[in-house]
Amino acid sequence: MNIRRILTGFDLTLRQLGRRRITILLLLLIPTVFYWVVYYTTSERIVPFKLASISEDTLIEVAEQHESLVFIGVAAVGFLASFMGLNLVQKNAGVHRRMVLCGYRPWEIFTALLAVLALAVLLLALYVGGGLCLFFTPENLPGVILGFFAAGMVYGSYGILAGALIQGELEGILLIVLLANIDAGWLQNPLFYEGAQNKEFIRYLPAYFPSQVSLTAAFSAFSFKKALAWSAFYGGVLLLAGMFFYHLKTKIYR
Amino acid sequence: MPPFLTVKNVSRSFGRNRVLRDVSLSIEAGRLVGLVGENGSGKSTLLKIITGMLKPDRGEVALSAKMGYCPQEALLFEQLTVLEHFRCFAAGYNLPDGEWQRRMEELLTHFRFKNHLRKQVAHLSGGTRQKLNLSLALLHQPDLLILDEPYAGFDWETYLHFWDYAEAQIGAGRSILVVTHFLSDQSKFHQIFDLKNGMLT
Repeated sequence: MNIRRILTGFDLTLRQLGRRRITILLLLLIPTVFYWVVYYTTSERIVPFKLASISEDTLIEVAEQHESLVFIGVAAVGFLASFMGLNLVQKNAGVHRRMVLCGYRPWEIFTALLAVLALAVLLLALYVGGGLCLFFTPENLPGVILGFFAAGMVYGSYGILAGALIQGELEGILLIVLLANIDAGWLQNPLFYEGAQNKEFIRYLPAYFPSQVSLTAAFSAFSFKKALAWSAFYGGVLLLAGMFFYHLKTKIYR
Repeated sequence: MPPFLTVKNVSRSFGRNRVLRDVSLSIEAGRLVGLVGENGSGKSTLLKIITGMLKPDRGEVALSAKMGYCPQEALLFEQLTVLEHFRCFAAGYNLPDGEWQRRMEELLTHFRFKNHLRKQVAHLSGGTRQKLNLSLALLHQPDLLILDEPYAGFDWETYLHFWDYAEAQIGAGRSILVVTHFLSDQSKFHQIFDLKNGMLT
């Protein structure tokens, strides 16, 4: 293990991200716009919904607007993290290959990229979590942010996997859209889940557990540890798959 | 002293297309060697096998020297400066602090792009990018330098400086392999391998 290479890779990848000012602006703008659109278009009527990860009988009642804001927060962090993961792996794939030819090990570059992704997702989760407080006060704000972070890491890992598998930029984006839009962007909305058919299918999708962490923390005092552990499991599986394909993509036969 | 590079009976196919057939070559110390071939002759595939980016179906490649590889396309990070590129690759080559800065100074001076040290690659001209591309391959003073189509990106000034540098390196016992579709200065080369339809002629 060469710590110097990992730290150099981390530092330089972070600098690159920091110099993309329009990217940073959009990362801040998108959740803000999502929040305001949801705030503007949802009502304050009280709706019942199930905290499915606790039990199918655990019914709580909250304002539709508050529930929708938490849901869109999870979705926003998930979407943005998946595109960041894709971009980190895919954008400079040729240079990364060259770095491997020059002595870096694929997993050293991968570790540096992952550390940058984790830091970016953490900052994003804090920003989106903080933004939520402008609209209402969640029961457990750190728990909500933890759920946002989990959604970011699960979908960030999915983005890394997509980037390691697919060479083309558009194809990578479409692969993300294929899952993220329907999962994080639609099926995990508890109001939809309430009346959904084949709920088992929804429970197996990657955004299910992170959504449950944030919703449980936002509106109840129930423990979300189990949902958090399952989020880590999903993120870990996606990350290992991403690491495997990244290794195949960049390895040197010598 | 064993050859820096030995390629022995290397073959490679893509589906039914046999791109390389029983290719063998070796490069000794202090040699300037050309590998010439038209588009589709298999030279890119052979280059990928030599550098380790591709596995041969049959045969073997033995590298007994420190290799430097300069790709045809300048593979660089758009948002990083010239200095940051040197730092990045110095870590890969495991060059200690002090040594890589000294080497960087030499290369910046030789190829005359010291005034661009703190500029991001996105703001560099094509010629300066090529200078950086080449310098990164030379940073660790490789015994064997492999250049992929170097003339395509070099401006005249870089071209002349490159030959100065090449002559000094060969004089010091290092070797250079130039892979190209056209060699203009054949008299400079100690040996030229001609690749046609996947075979050396």
